[in-house]
Amino acid sequence: MSSLSLRRPRRQRDFVGLVLRIWGIAVYAFLFTPILVIVVYSFNNGRSMLIWSGLGLDGYRTGTTDPTILNAVKTSIVAASGTAIIATTLGTFAGIALARRKGKWTVLFMALVFLILVTPEIVDAIALLIWYVRLGGPFGPNAPIPGVSYGMLRLWVGHSLFATAVVTLIVRARLQGLDESLEEAAADLYAPPARRFRQITLPLMFPAVLAGALLAFSFSLDDTIISSFVSVAGASPWPVYVFSAVRNALRPQVASVSTLLLMLTLFAIGCVAFVLRRGGQSGEEVAKTMTVGG
Amino acid sequence: MTQRVAESERGARRIRAPRFLMALPAWIWFVCFFTLPVLWIVYYSFGYKPDIFHPIATDKLSLATYREAFSSTFLHVFSQTLQISILGTFLCFLIGFPFAYWLATRVSARWRGVLLGLVIVPFFVNFLVRTIGWLILLSPNGPVSSLLQRWGLRSEPLHLLQTRGAVQLGVVYNYLALMILPLFVALDRLDPAMREASKDLGASRWKTFRQVTLPLAAPGIVAGLLLVFIPLTGDYITALVLGGAKGNMAGVMVASQFTVAQNWALGAAQAVILIALIMATVGVFALIALVFRSIARASRKITLPVATEGAA
Repeated sequence: MSSLSLRRPRRQRDFVGLVLRIWGIAVYAFLFTPILVIVVYSFNNGRSMLIWSGLGLDGYRTGTTDPTILNAVKTSIVAASGTAIIATTLGTFAGIALARRKGKWTVLFMALVFLILVTPEIVDAIALLIWYVRLGGPFGPNAPIPGVSYGMLRLWVGHSLFATAVVTLIVRARLQGLDESLEEAAADLYAPPARRFRQITLPLMFPAVLAGALLAFSFSLDDTIISSFVSVAGASPWPVYVFSAVRNALRPQVASVSTLLLMLTLFAIGCVAFVLRRGGQSGEEVAKTMTVGG
Repeated sequence: MTQRVAESERGARRIRAPRFLMALPAWIWFVCFFTLPVLWIVYYSFGYKPDIFHPIATDKLSLATYREAFSSTFLHVFSQTLQISILGTFLCFLIGFPFAYWLATRVSARWRGVLLGLVIVPFFVNFLVRTIGWLILLSPNGPVSSLLQRWGLRSEPLHLLQTRGAVQLGVVYNYLALMILPLFVALDRLDPAMREASKDLGASRWKTFRQVTLPLAAPGIVAGLLLVFIPLTGDYITALVLGGAKGNMAGVMVASQFTVAQNWALGAAQAVILIALIMATVGVFALIALVFRSIARASRKITLPVATEGAA
């Protein structure tokens, strides 16, 4: 390897490498500039977020005490947790079936998964809005399931579609890369199906399931379009609050709460990365598992 | 040998038998909350708006909404959407490819994980809030405008908001990661030995890139282009926040039929056209790519054997 690279024209290589490195730094600058702006403007002590009027913590003070904001953030977290549970459960089983029980049905199922992935979110949003109104029942205000508000149910179902499709693909990809002989060996040693699943299949695909759950959670947390169409007053998540703020009056609290949420997310990601690392993955593998699903 | 294969097959069947059922919950979920609602949209697109109090009626089905959706104002929005999304996808590729190439081939393995993680950190900030970041940056009293004025480079505030340029910038920013990640995966899986071999066989750097790296990264490129183009075409947040009337996109138009105009039939028809537009564009570009690939293959004089028996 090193003897090969010595044969390359040294100066040309360095030049291309330098240009690529500058490009890389420029892309990072591009990616982080608006985020830094948000963080800086979260310390804006004015009434309007867009007009800088002095440094201060007013945004944080009002942002963390405003009941509407707190309720919106709580709704977001509950919605994201529910979405992650639904999507991980449905998607994991579908992914196993796709990887291990191929047949004519897989083509049809994959077609459906891809259709879900390629349908613009705005179409999903209006379709679901119309569908919920049409279905009524637990999705309407009149006959709710006890303990679950119909607004939350709408969010769970709406967010879980895309998320389930993503989890399905990740789990399928992971299992396809793994030899089935381990499971067969367990079967030959008379392990019952449930035990085989728990002791062999689940640990093998655990990184994919975790990555899928994480993606489902962050998809739900990030979703604005579906939420703004299907959510109802009192159960509208954080992005919907921000959306109405953009249209009415954008205050610094929005930046402050966003900064706090970013810190929380980074902390959660750090915890997951720590778990994966203790599970024996290298730093690069951890990053790949969490960004591109393994 | 044959016996062992038969045995393992029997073992496999023993495990596999109930697994078809495992996909059933997801099937039901998708059909109930995706297939049926979207079909319902298609059904509604043939309806009409009876009066100002009702958003939809379906007692008479006709193509009237489609005629309305193809009128000149809406057609202009569709064509503008397509221009923004094609240019945006192209720009994402131009920015993302060298970046992904650098990350996958030039960065040491120790740093690669950290740098890859850094790419997605901005995307943990809500889509809308990221766009607000640009709203602040580009606004007439924002930091860019005031710095330019302080340095004497401009005499009056910048007016970048409510333009198509602002929307273009916003969509490239918002969808860049969806381009970088699949490109990175494709380039990262590419064995460096392939490039080394190409060089050893006397190919120039450019030729190696064109004939080895690019074709092998093709699946990732296709994935990246699709992952960016499809949501970008349907985007409505970026256009709404940064665009105003001049940066109007089809998503905004569809949404406004539901949020403002309360004309569900017209909105449904526009949504159906939007999906058709996306599929048609993807189809056209796929066709062009296939033609180019067959030309490139035909023009290549030497075809190397793909893989030997032993390797497989």
